[in-house]
Amino acid sequence: MLSAFNFRVIWDYMGLFLQGLWATAWISAIGLAGALLVGIIACMMRISGKKLLSAPAIAYIELIRSTPLLVQLYFFYFGLPSLGIRFTEYQTGIFALSLNSGAYMSEILRAGVQSIPGGQIEAGIAFGLNYLQRLRYIILPQAIGVTIPPMLGQTIVLVKDSALLSLISVFELTRASQILTSERFMPAEGFLTVAVFYLLLYYILKSLSGWWQRHLIHRQA
Amino acid sequence: MIRFEKVNKWFGKHHVLQDIDFHVAAGDVAVICGPSGSGKSTLIRCINRLEPIQSGDIVVDGMSLTDRKTNITRLRAEVGFVFQQFNLYPHMTALENVILAPLKVRKMNRNEADELGRELLEKVGIQEKALAYPAQLSGGQQQRVAIARGLAMRPKIMLFDEPTSALDPEMINEVLDVMRKLAFEGMTMAVVTHEMGFAREVANNMVFMDEGKIIETGDPEQFYTHPENERTRLFLSKILSH
Amino acid sequence: MWSFYFSQLTDSIPFFLKGLWMTFKISGISLVLGTVLGFCVGIARASKVKPLRYILYVYVDFMRGTPYLVQIFIVFFILPEWGIQLAAFPAAIFSLTLYAGAYICEIVAGGIEAVDAGQTEAAMATGLNRFQRMRYVVMPQAMRTILPPLVGQYVLLIKDSSIVSVIGLTDITRVGWLTVQRIPEGIMVFGLVGILYFSICYPLILLSNWFERRLRAQGG
Repeated sequence: MLSAFNFRVIWDYMGLFLQGLWATAWISAIGLAGALLVGIIACMMRISGKKLLSAPAIAYIELIRSTPLLVQLYFFYFGLPSLGIRFTEYQTGIFALSLNSGAYMSEILRAGVQSIPGGQIEAGIAFGLNYLQRLRYIILPQAIGVTIPPMLGQTIVLVKDSALLSLISVFELTRASQILTSERFMPAEGFLTVAVFYLLLYYILKSLSGWWQRHLIHRQA
Repeated sequence: MIRFEKVNKWFGKHHVLQDIDFHVAAGDVAVICGPSGSGKSTLIRCINRLEPIQSGDIVVDGMSLTDRKTNITRLRAEVGFVFQQFNLYPHMTALENVILAPLKVRKMNRNEADELGRELLEKVGIQEKALAYPAQLSGGQQQRVAIARGLAMRPKIMLFDEPTSALDPEMINEVLDVMRKLAFEGMTMAVVTHEMGFAREVANNMVFMDEGKIIETGDPEQFYTHPENERTRLFLSKILSH
Repeated sequence: MWSFYFSQLTDSIPFFLKGLWMTFKISGISLVLGTVLGFCVGIARASKVKPLRYILYVYVDFMRGTPYLVQIFIVFFILPEWGIQLAAFPAAIFSLTLYAGAYICEIVAGGIEAVDAGQTEAAMATGLNRFQRMRYVVMPQAMRTILPPLVGQYVLLIKDSSIVSVIGLTDITRVGWLTVQRIPEGIMVFGLVGILYFSICYPLILLSNWFERRLRAQGG
C-alpha cells in the first residue's frame, strides 16, 4: 500500500499545504481572540447575578452547546445575507468559530472564577475593594492559571473545527487537501498528509498545556 | 508456613527490605513492630505478593513466590489479608463483601456461600449487619467485616497490616478481640501493629524492624523485659510510655 | 415573501423528519458500537502488553488530533483505494464509531483510574483474577465516575454526526442544506435545523448534569 504512496505529489503540493497550514493557523488565532472576547463578556454577564444580563448569556451558551457547529456555520453563511450583512466566507467562518468557542470559553472562565475560595472574595470586600478591583487583583490572576489548560484544550477543538470552513469554500488546510484530491485523484496523499499537519498542531498545543501545568504546580508550591 | 530467605527489595533507590531472614511456623502468631518507614508493612505485603521482591525467596505453605510455575491467584486464596484502610467494597453489602471470593473463586453455590458468610459475620460479632453497606457501618464494624472477608476462603494464614491504626480508640478493642479469638483457635498469623498489650497476650514471636532490617526477634516476655538491642529498647520505651 | 417561504418550509416538514430519522439512526448505531469499542479499549489500556498499549495510544491520538471531517474523508475516499468499498452509510457509521471509541475510552480509563487502588488490592488478596476484579469490584465503582461525561460525549457525538452530511447522507443538516437551495431563507431553514438538534441534545445535557449532581450527592 505504502509503496504506491506518491511522495512526489506531496512534495509538488507542499507549497499549497503550507499555505493551507498558515491559513488554518491565522483563522484559529483570530477565532481564538474572538472567542476569548465573546467568552469574557458572556462569562461576566452570566455571573453578574442580574437576571437581565445572565438570562441572555445562559440562552446563548445553551443554544451553542446544543447545536452542531456545522449548523451554526450554515446558519450564518446562508442567513446573514438576508439580514443585509455581507460578510465574506472568511469573515463568516471566523465569526461562527468565535461565537461557538466563545460559549465554551465562557464556561471555562466561569469554572475558573468559581474555583476561587469564597473567603478570598470576602476578604477583598472587607478590605474595601470594589467589584472591578476584586476582579482585577484577586479573581483574575488566580482564575487564569487554572483555566489555561482547559482553554488550550478548547483551542485544540477550535483548530479542528476550522476544518469545517472548507465546506463554505474558505481556503485552509483541509481545503488544500480537497484541491489535491480533485486535481490528482489521490485522496490518500491529500488527506493523510493533512492529517499529519493537524497532528503536528495538536501535539504542539498539547505540550504547551503540559508545560503550563508543570509551571503552575511549581508556582503554587 | 512462611519463610523469608535473604529477601531484598528496593523501591527505586530506596532499599526497603535488607537481607530479611524470617519464618513463621504453623499456628504461630508473629507480631512485627517498628518505627514508620521501617519496612514492616512492605514485609507483610510481600507474603501474598502485593509487593514483588527483587532478590531472595519467600516460601508460603510450600509454594515459592519466585517460582514462575506458582499460581499466585491460588496462593492468595490461602492467605487472608486485612488492610489498615479496610478496603471494603462500597457497592456491596457486608455479606456480599464476605462471600464474593468464595462465590467466584471456589465456585460455591449461592446458598452455601450465604450460610458461610453469615457464620463468619456471627463469628466476628456483627451478624445483624449482614445486609448493611460499609458506609452505614462504623470503622470497627467495617474492619470486622474485613476480617470475616479474609476468613471466607478458609485461608491457612491471616495477615494483618496495622488493622487498628485507622480506628478511633473506642473501637480498637472490638477488633483486637476478634484477632485474639483467631489466635487462640490456632490460626497462623502475622500482624503488623503498635498494640503492645495485644502482642504480649497472643504473640509467640516478636519481630522488631528498623530501616529495612530485622533488628531483633524473640519470645514476647523476653522482648519486653530484656530487649537485647539498644534500638529495640529505645523504640519500646517511646511506645510504652503513653 | 416571508410567509410564502414559511408555508414552503412547513410543506418540507416530512423531509426534515426523514432527516431526523437518519440522524437518529447514524448517531444511535455509532453510539452503541462506539461505547462497546470505548469500553474495550479503555480497559485494555491498562494492559501489561506493551505493543498493545502503544497501538491504542496511536489510535486515540490520531482520532483526537485530527478533525472528524478529515477522518470521514479518509474512510470514504481512501479505503476504496485499498480495496474496501464502503457506501456512505456504513462509511459514516465506521468512522463515527472509531471516533467515538477514542473519546469514550479516555472517559472509561479515567473512571477506572479513579477507583481507589486499595479496592484492587483487596480483591487481589482474596484470590480474584484480573477479569473478576474488573467485573465485580472495579467496573461497578468506575461506572459512577464514567456516566456523566459519557452522556456528555453522546451529545458531542450527535452534533458531530452532522458532518456526515458532506458525504451525501440525508441527515437533518443535509436536509437543511438541500432545502436552503430552494428556499433561500437561511435563518428560517437552519433555525429549524437548529431547533431539531436542540430538542435532542439539550435534554441529554440536562441528563448529564443530573447524573453529575447525583454522583456528587452520593459522595465518594
